[in-house]
Amino acid sequence: MSLIVSAIGQGLLWGVLGIGLFLTFRILDFPDMTVEGTFPMGAAIAAALIGRGVSPIVATLCAFIGGAIAGLITGLLYTKAKIPVLLSGILVMTAAYSVNLRIMGAANLSLLGKGNLLNAGIFQGLPNYFNSVFLGLIVITIVTVAIAYFLQTDLGQAFIATGDNETMAQSLGINTDRMKCLGVSVSNGVIAMGGALVAQNNGYSDVNMGIGIIVVALASIIIGEVVFGNLTMNQRLVAVTLGSILYRFVLLIVLQLGFNANDLNLISSVILALCMSLPAFQSKFNFKHILKRGFDRNE
Amino acid sequence: MKRMYALITILVVFLGFAFFQEKNANPTNSANGAKEPTLGILQLMTHPSLDAIHDGIIKGLNDSGFHPGKNIKIDYQNAQNDQSNLKTMSTKFANENATASIGITTPSAQALASTIHNNPVILGAITDPVGAGLVKNLKHPGGHITGVANGSPLQKQLNVIKAFMPKLKTLGIIYTSSDPSSTAQAKQFAQLCKKEGIKLKTYTIANSNDLNQVSSQMVTQVQAVYVPNDNTIAAAMDTLVNNANKQNIPVFPSVDFMVKSGGIATYGVDQFQMGVTIGKMTAKILRGENPATTPVKRFQQGKMIVNVKQAKKLHMQIPASIMKEAETKGEVIK
Repeated sequence: MSLIVSAIGQGLLWGVLGIGLFLTFRILDFPDMTVEGTFPMGAAIAAALIGRGVSPIVATLCAFIGGAIAGLITGLLYTKAKIPVLLSGILVMTAAYSVNLRIMGAANLSLLGKGNLLNAGIFQGLPNYFNSVFLGLIVITIVTVAIAYFLQTDLGQAFIATGDNETMAQSLGINTDRMKCLGVSVSNGVIAMGGALVAQNNGYSDVNMGIGIIVVALASIIIGEVVFGNLTMNQRLVAVTLGSILYRFVLLIVLQLGFNANDLNLISSVILALCMSLPAFQSKFNFKHILKRGFDRNE
Repeated sequence: MKRMYALITILVVFLGFAFFQEKNANPTNSANGAKEPTLGILQLMTHPSLDAIHDGIIKGLNDSGFHPGKNIKIDYQNAQNDQSNLKTMSTKFANENATASIGITTPSAQALASTIHNNPVILGAITDPVGAGLVKNLKHPGGHITGVANGSPLQKQLNVIKAFMPKLKTLGIIYTSSDPSSTAQAKQFAQLCKKEGIKLKTYTIANSNDLNQVSSQMVTQVQAVYVPNDNTIAAAMDTLVNNANKQNIPVFPSVDFMVKSGGIATYGVDQFQMGVTIGKMTAKILRGENPATTPVKRFQQGKMIVNVKQAKKLHMQIPASIMKEAETKGEVIK
């Protein structure tokens, strides 16, 4: 049981990453590779500051700022320097690697035994893993509400319009370049905050922890969309978090099945691909119909 | 929409149920009685040197009377270099109430240490357990964590280089900047070189793709190359050796299998033997020894290993004393 609680807690913390990527991947409609650099950057900033005795809340907020600056650079490379978006992201991601090493001063910083958000006083006395559930709930609620509110302001509407149809947005007098920079900054700020939280939950920050992170984020977004179907914008934000929790369940199932340890990536990919392709097969073969017919024949 | 509310309801109900269930649960677990013990082994990725440690651990357990599948259950997990898996895997061990867990590599051990609080965690070859925040003190770990620290015998390795090249002036060192253990070794090695009056030039790579370019530039600027215990470079050793051979420069690695793939010689830590040591220590802890009073062992035992073929290729004389040690207690590659 505690395993499922832990998976939910981790799903909530990783959900922050999913929501961050959702802003660029779904709303602005472009693939932002900066993620793999800003996620460990958030972890690096938080770990370095907490190690120096800074309060974990301040450290996590600083992680947001650090990620936002890196995101802004990607945005400027893309809009002002006219470097293709994929490449801009990769450039900043690559540069972030060196920056992260500088921030940490080592390749790996430990947070064991240091005060962090997860062992804060208010979480004491809870059953195992409930600290990550409550912290995750608090953070994800704040982030979701803040972004939902932002998207309903004039600025937010202009931001959505930029992603929907850039030409139309420009004709309405929206400065689309500014919107893109803003979007990538906020997105990477949120992602870095996710990195800071995950590092505190894991007990360390490592310069390599960004490897494969974009898959985790995309999985949360796409599982959420596939499972919950058509939703309003606010519901979609919630769906990302739920998708992130479901992804953790998938990993848990893979682990529990006890396969050969070396096949882990293959098996989790196959299960993910099956989940994602389900709707396509469902409409083609109409499972419900086939099932019904099957029962009829048996009777 | 309906599905979303349904899932949220299920999650909330489950969490509520779990909350009270766990709160009322008795923390003392009787599962660790006469039943066969469970050992969790968490490895960061598949890699020759890490696999050798893992094989050694199994050998060490066997030697101490624990036979996997018979009287011990081993849960072996490999995160495939995706660190987001480490926490989930550690939680799995915690949930199984694994009698003990071994973490191979620093991040694995850290993930275990932050998840498992009651049962012993054993460090599987971590270079700097104090720096990684895992134990406060090597002699008196004090908590539930102990294990084996791998210290490369750096001075002995430098002695090997000096024996081969007494007139050496500039030595190059190359390692991966993201590898905490090789970074730490490089720092220590630099101090040793300073003492000996050897100029050490440092080269770092971010990943194995950088190795070709960085090393081809490196070999034109130094007289010999030293490689610390670095997993990334070990995996791409051929590239480095090819570039060094073009300039007739010897490569002195720090691990035995790097010599096999084209290094000249080293006094290297035997990864497999280190695994055996970890396995034996684990067996003692499974039998009830307290990790708090079991000192962290620094494993530096190695063997001399010389690659004669490579020495001939570079027209280098193998010092008699080194050849003798390799023949009697070490390994000679022909």
